Amino acid sequence: MRNFEWLEPTSVAEAGRMVTENGEGAKIMASGTSLLLLMRQRIFSPTHVVSLGAVDGLDYIRFDGADLRIGARTKHRSIEHDPEIAAQFPMIAEMARRVANPQIRNMATIGGNLVHNDPASDPPACFLAMDATVAAVREDQEREIPLEELFVDFYETSLEPGEVLTEIRIPALSADSVGVYTRFTTTPAEDRPLLGVGMVLTLDKDGTCTDARISLGASTPIPVRARAAEEALKGQPATEEVFAKAGLAASEEITPLDDFRGSADYRREIIKVIVRRTAMRALERARG
Amino acid sequence: MKKRLITLRVNGEEHEIAVEPRRLLVEAIRDDLGLTGTKRGCESGVCGCCTILLDGHNIKACLMLAVQVQEDSEVTTIEGLRGDEGGLHPIQEAYVNYGALQCGYCTPGFIMTTKAFLDENPKPTEAEIREGLGGNICRCTGYVKIVEAIQAASGQEVSHAHP
Repeated sequence: MRNFEWLEPTSVAEAGRMVTENGEGAKIMASGTSLLLLMRQRIFSPTHVVSLGAVDGLDYIRFDGADLRIGARTKHRSIEHDPEIAAQFPMIAEMARRVANPQIRNMATIGGNLVHNDPASDPPACFLAMDATVAAVREDQEREIPLEELFVDFYETSLEPGEVLTEIRIPALSADSVGVYTRFTTTPAEDRPLLGVGMVLTLDKDGTCTDARISLGASTPIPVRARAAEEALKGQPATEEVFAKAGLAASEEITPLDDFRGSADYRREIIKVIVRRTAMRALERARG
Repeated sequence: MKKRLITLRVNGEEHEIAVEPRRLLVEAIRDDLGLTGTKRGCESGVCGCCTILLDGHNIKACLMLAVQVQEDSEVTTIEGLRGDEGGLHPIQEAYVNYGALQCGYCTPGFIMTTKAFLDENPKPTEAEIREGLGGNICRCTGYVKIVEAIQAASGQEVSHAHP
């Protein structure tokens, strides 16, 4: 690893200024679990690392009945063990307890995960299906960014230099909606998903899908909404046959990654199956 | 690059050391403090043989810089484990008694993970044990004996689930 200047601001505003003052080579670090990997391999060699370690007030989970707010420096572990998330947002809880491995969940932060924008990850797709936004702060200016606009390309976000992601905001699901997240790995020993499917289904009393949000993660450069699959569900009865059509639509509407975790053809097959199964799990969850 | 003076509290002792910002915590523990029980393996957060406890939680010391450790934090390494009357900790005893190691390279990491895991979940099921070990890799034992050792260390019946 190349050496760098270590900076420890005590506020978000100061952190942003330190990045702006030190130019392109300056990089913000939360826990560093992802960033250090890139630095070790010299894929990225920052001249200045601006640590958020001494910035207080970014580690919290709050739910006011309408929105869940998670501070950017909250660890995956805290999300995994939070009783309110388990009760109100089972979709997030089931996602969080599978991120990477126990030690990494004890270290890595949710904000760091989102800004790193590594495609082989679970939280981005899960939150995308939930219509989450993030708060980005520079000096005393705050900008709210829908997650879909945050992700630009591999490891690239729409944050501007000096902006610090401070919070993730997730609206509560409506009473007639259920959320499910499924991660698929090729072997149980794999820490990273080949595919993640996030799904929020809205069902009426007769068992018709009145609305659907479906996201696909880890199989495209950035997580995406599967809008053709969503359309295949809307207004349709919640049956396995309809879910299979949605799976097919999802597998056809994207160009999957083709990498060492799986070929593009394999991913298309898996998307078909996992979208269908995720919808079946959503239906089970809706029936309680 | 200028070195920074940091204070590391390790196994109850305070150490003041000067480190470059790029110094990994595992390097500081092994090379600056001479505590070589903590191993370096994959150095990419996968194998878990550098596992230590930071304030009671198991973490990977290869994915953290020494300068990131806060002054009031407590680091525990394998050298910091001991039984009530000195000697081996009951988890270490169980690993020995159940033959839960062969080459031994991954063992300190497994034991530190076991410690954090059992502190949080004193009576885990076999499935929970296997999940708890998800961040540690052993290439010798096939894990069966490690699971048995953890069952024994937690005072539970040992499943002897040899395939």
